[in-house]
Amino acid sequence: MKLFTRYSRINILASILALVLGSIGYYIMIRGILIHELDDALKVEEAEILSHVRTLDELPEPSSYRDQQISFAPAAAPVRRRFMNITRPEYRHHDESQPYRQLLFPVTVKGQVYTVSVTKSEEETEDLLAWIMLVTAGMIVILLGILFMANRLLLRRIWQPFYQTLEGLRRFDLSKRESIVHTPTAIDEFRNLQTVVEVMTEKIRKDYEILRDFTDNASHEMQTPLAIINSKLDLMIQDQQLEEKHLRQLQAMYDAVGRLRTLNQSLLLLTKIENNQFAQATPVALEAIIDKKIIQLEDPIKVKQLTITTDVQPCELQMNAYLTDILLNNLLGNAIRHNSERGTLDIVLRPEFLKISNTGAPLSFDPATIFDRFTKGGHSEGTGLGLAIAKQICDNYGFVLTYSHEEGLHVLRIQFRPSMAGGIRPTEFRQNAILDLSHE
Amino acid sequence: MKLLIVEDEKALADSIYSYLQRENFVCEIAPSYTGALERIAQDDYDCILLDISLQDGDGLELLKTLKSNHKTDGVLIISAHSSLEDKVSGLHLGADDYLPKPFHLSELGARVAAIIRRRHSAGSHFIRLDDIEIDIQAHLATVKGRSLDLTRKEYQLLLYFAYNKGRVVSRNAIAEHLWGDDTGGTDNYDFIYTHIKNLRRKLVEAGAGDYIQSVYGMGYKLTIP
Repeated sequence: MKLFTRYSRINILASILALVLGSIGYYIMIRGILIHELDDALKVEEAEILSHVRTLDELPEPSSYRDQQISFAPAAAPVRRRFMNITRPEYRHHDESQPYRQLLFPVTVKGQVYTVSVTKSEEETEDLLAWIMLVTAGMIVILLGILFMANRLLLRRIWQPFYQTLEGLRRFDLSKRESIVHTPTAIDEFRNLQTVVEVMTEKIRKDYEILRDFTDNASHEMQTPLAIINSKLDLMIQDQQLEEKHLRQLQAMYDAVGRLRTLNQSLLLLTKIENNQFAQATPVALEAIIDKKIIQLEDPIKVKQLTITTDVQPCELQMNAYLTDILLNNLLGNAIRHNSERGTLDIVLRPEFLKISNTGAPLSFDPATIFDRFTKGGHSEGTGLGLAIAKQICDNYGFVLTYSHEEGLHVLRIQFRPSMAGGIRPTEFRQNAILDLSHE
Repeated sequence: MKLLIVEDEKALADSIYSYLQRENFVCEIAPSYTGALERIAQDDYDCILLDISLQDGDGLELLKTLKSNHKTDGVLIISAHSSLEDKVSGLHLGADDYLPKPFHLSELGARVAAIIRRRHSAGSHFIRLDDIEIDIQAHLATVKGRSLDLTRKEYQLLLYFAYNKGRVVSRNAIAEHLWGDDTGGTDNYDFIYTHIKNLRRKLVEAGAGDYIQSVYGMGYKLTIP
C-alpha cells in the first residue's frame, strides 16, 4: 500500500466521521431553533386568545387555515398546558399526513372550562430543514473531494525528493562513478535522508575501490615472482642431467604456475572490465566471430568428437572487440570443455539473442551460483572465473545472460535487447523495470 | 649480436641472461633506469629487452630517449602491467614487440629472434635448419626444395622450435604460444602431442631427419646434428 493511499484512507475516514457527527449535531440544533420559533408563534396566538377571553369573556371564533387551526373543546377539568408534536391528515389531501406543532391550554369562559388547541403546520420548517441539510451534504462532498485532490497533489510534490532518492538508490551501480542526484528540499527529514544516503554510498564506493585496487595491485605484484619461477623452470629443464622423476616434478610445478598465471590474468581482466577500461566500442559482427572461434577451437572439438550445429543470422552489436572475443571464447570454450564425448553443441544467433546449448554432466553445484566467481565443478581445471567474466561483460553492455537446463542440455543465453516476440518478459530487463517504477 | 637486458629484478634478469647467452648473443644487464641510459648512450644494441616498470624511472621514457636519438635498436617491452594502454603506448613509441609477465623464456627467445631477424637480415626471410627451409614471409616450409603441406599450428610449431633450436621447450610454453591466454588447461597437452606427431611424420616423410625429440613427455627439443 502506498503511503498516499494509507494516509488519505485514514484522513478521509476521519473527515467523514467528523462531518457525519457534525451534521447530526447541526440538524438537531437547527431543528430545535426552528421548533422554538414555531412555539413562539403559538405563544403569540395563546396570548391573543387569552386577552380576547379576558376582555370579552367569550371564545373567539375557531379558525381553520392551511397553516394554522384554532379549536375549542369543553373540558371537565382544566388541561395541563403543553406543546406537542402531532401528525394529522393534510389539510387538503387527506391521504397524506403532515407533522404539526400543537399548543394545548385551558381557558374558562363564563364558568365553563375549555381546552384550546392551537395547531401550526411544521411543513415549512421541515422544508427549510431539508434544504439546509441538502446544502450541507453538498458542501461535505465538495470538501472531501477538494481534500482528496489537495492531499494527492501536495503529497506527491512533497514526497518527490524521497522518490528521487529511492530511484537513485535503485540505479546505483558501484562500478560506475556516478553519484546519486538529489533535488534540494526544505524538508528536514528528506534532507537527512539525502545526507545519510550520500555518506553511505560514498563509503561503500571508497571501500569498494580500495578492494578493487587491492585486487589490481596484488595481481600485478604477483606477475614478477611468477615470471621468475617460470624462467627458472625454463632454465632447469635445459639441464641434461635431469632424470625423468625430476622432470615429472618440474611438470607439476609448471602446471601450478600456469594455473596461477591464468587465475591472475582472469582476476585482472575482471577488475578492468568492472572499471570500464574497455570503453572503446566498434560495430562487431557476431556471426563472423563465432565462425572464427569455432575454427580456433577445432582441436578440442575434434578430440571430443563433438557435433556442432549453427543456426546463425547476422547480428551486429556495438561492443569492444577485445571483450567480444573474450565473451565468445569463454562461452564456447566452456560449452566445449564441459561437454561429453561425442556430445553436441548448438549455437543459435538472432539479432536479439545468442543461445548456446551443449550436452554434458549435470552441474555439481547450485545453478544459481553459476556466474559467481570461483564456482566450478569438482573436476574442472578452469579458474572458475570464465563465466563470471562473461557475466560482467554482459552486465557492462546491459545484456541479460541466463543459464537454464532444458531437456538435458545446458543452455546459456544472452539477450542483447528485449525480444519482439516475447520469450523474455520485459520486466526482466533492468532498464524497463526502472521505467515501470518511475511512473508512480 | 648484442643484447641489453633492462630489468631491475635480478633473478629474472639472470634467467634471461643465461637463456639468451647461449644463443650466440652477447648479453648485458642494466639493473636500473640510469644504468640503462648510460649503456644506451655508449653502445648500440641489436635488441633491448625493456622492463617498463623500473624502480628509478619509467621505461617508456627510456624508449622515447632512444627514439629521439634516432637509435635503431630493436626494443622488446617486458611488463608486469599487462594492460592494453601500456602495450599500445609502447608500440606507438616505436617498440617492436610487447611481452607481458610472466612469460616463458622460449617465448622471449622467439620474440627476440624475430625482432633481430626483421631488423638485420633485410631481404632474407628464410631460416635454414639443415635440410629444412622456412620462408617466414610466405609461411611456408620446404625440405630439399619440396614444400611441406603443414597446417597453421604445425607451421607455428616448426617456427617456434626453429627460434628455440637446441632448447627444451616445455609443453606449457607451447600451449601458451599456440593458444595464447585462453589455454584449456592440461587438455592442450593432447593436442600438442597430436600436432607434433603429425609435424614429425610430415618432416620424415619429406626426407628430413627426425629432429624433434620428446623430453620425457614434458617438453620437446629440436636438435640439428
